[in-house]
Amino acid sequence: MAARPRVYRAEGVVLRRRNLGEADSILTVFSGSEGKFEAIAKGVRKARSRMRGHLEPLTRSRVLVAHGRSLDVFTQAETVDAYRRLREDLDASAEALYCLELVDRFTEEREPLPELYALLVNALELLEGGKGASVTRHFELRLLALLGYEPHIDGCVACGDRLPEEETLLSPSAGGLVCRECRPEAGGGRIVSVPVIKLLRFARRATAAEFAAVGIPPEVQRELRTAIAELVRYHLDRDPNARRFVEGVSALDKGE
Amino acid sequence: MPEAGAPEPIARLIQEFSKLPGIGPKSAQRLAYHVLRAPEDDARALGQALADVKERVVLCESCFNITVSDPCALCDDEQRDRTLVCVVEQPLDVLVVERTGGFRGLYHVLHGSLNPIDGVGPEQLRIQELLRRVEAGAVAEVIMATNPSLEGEATSMYVQRLLQPLGVRVTRLARGLPSGADIEYMDDLTLSRALEGRQEL
Repeated sequence: MAARPRVYRAEGVVLRRRNLGEADSILTVFSGSEGKFEAIAKGVRKARSRMRGHLEPLTRSRVLVAHGRSLDVFTQAETVDAYRRLREDLDASAEALYCLELVDRFTEEREPLPELYALLVNALELLEGGKGASVTRHFELRLLALLGYEPHIDGCVACGDRLPEEETLLSPSAGGLVCRECRPEAGGGRIVSVPVIKLLRFARRATAAEFAAVGIPPEVQRELRTAIAELVRYHLDRDPNARRFVEGVSALDKGE
Repeated sequence: MPEAGAPEPIARLIQEFSKLPGIGPKSAQRLAYHVLRAPEDDARALGQALADVKERVVLCESCFNITVSDPCALCDDEQRDRTLVCVVEQPLDVLVVERTGGFRGLYHVLHGSLNPIDGVGPEQLRIQELLRRVEAGAVAEVIMATNPSLEGEATSMYVQRLLQPLGVRVTRLARGLPSGADIEYMDDLTLSRALEGRQEL
């Protein structure tokens, strides 16, 4: 039997940190090659640790990881991008944390999802560039699509009929838009406006940058956020924790 | 699980010790038998200390540091500058800042930092209490001394935004190189901030 290599390399974004014992941490990293994985960073909470700072949550790092008996161990870490401007902006940090939590909650360990990784890195870069909540909306929709939860929005998900250009029911449980006739059997959902439907369709073919460049009026932005939040809640069976923080921060902004 | 064969009081003590962080069943056993063999006075002192820590230690109503008297000795000290408030995450951080001897203001202990992903929001911290303290008017400067981590920074920015309308000065600790560190292994964030904060030699 060929020996398994003792170490492997990965490049990923640190999603979260849990402290372990006196000076160690367990970090969850989402990488392109390995997917999501956990490993121990020994002594990383000591002031003189060489890896400290390279393994903070919301840092993109190149790491070298050794296979351990139960958990793998980081042996080297080097920052690729610390997203400094992102960290120094409260609104952008909140959006970014929400994206990290989505990735953490929607993915399984050791399941490589290179497209989702590219999407995340791209979203973080755009958030750092001050692109705001539209980036998160695009990220949510593309994440759902990549993981097979894309809502059906080209016609009625129940009967397949073409949909007239009007307010339509978006039903998470039915899996997409539902025409008037099928509405009674569709289960729950929310009526969404024409601009929201157009944005849902546009997000499928637009890059995050293109999507973020669209000027969306605040009320449409709010409606889109709620509609997508319901899709996310349906598939996760809960709301991500960070959503409350995003809302709390933007409430502060308005001086509430 | 009570140890087979150990008399009930010892088994109970082992059980209690094993609830402490970092104490496994073997260590708990060793500690319990040590207490058994130790002089009775030592055992009583330990018991008393354990009881006191829960009965006598309270949170200061002003700064939320742990204390045996409310207000705490620091808040009660007339010599200290009441216009300066240093905001820290944990009671232990107060001791560390005090040890530097370079700060003569008051403190405010948040009891944690914002961790949106784990669901720790502003309402779980003593943030509203800080807001009320500043609203009361005597404070001229709030120094954010939260950890230079993602959570700590988010907490500082959040507090800054919350206090902004009150017109109080909000500052934070400088970021730089720790003593004894290697530049070679320094992360970009720390190094770039250290470069910006460079000082005349």
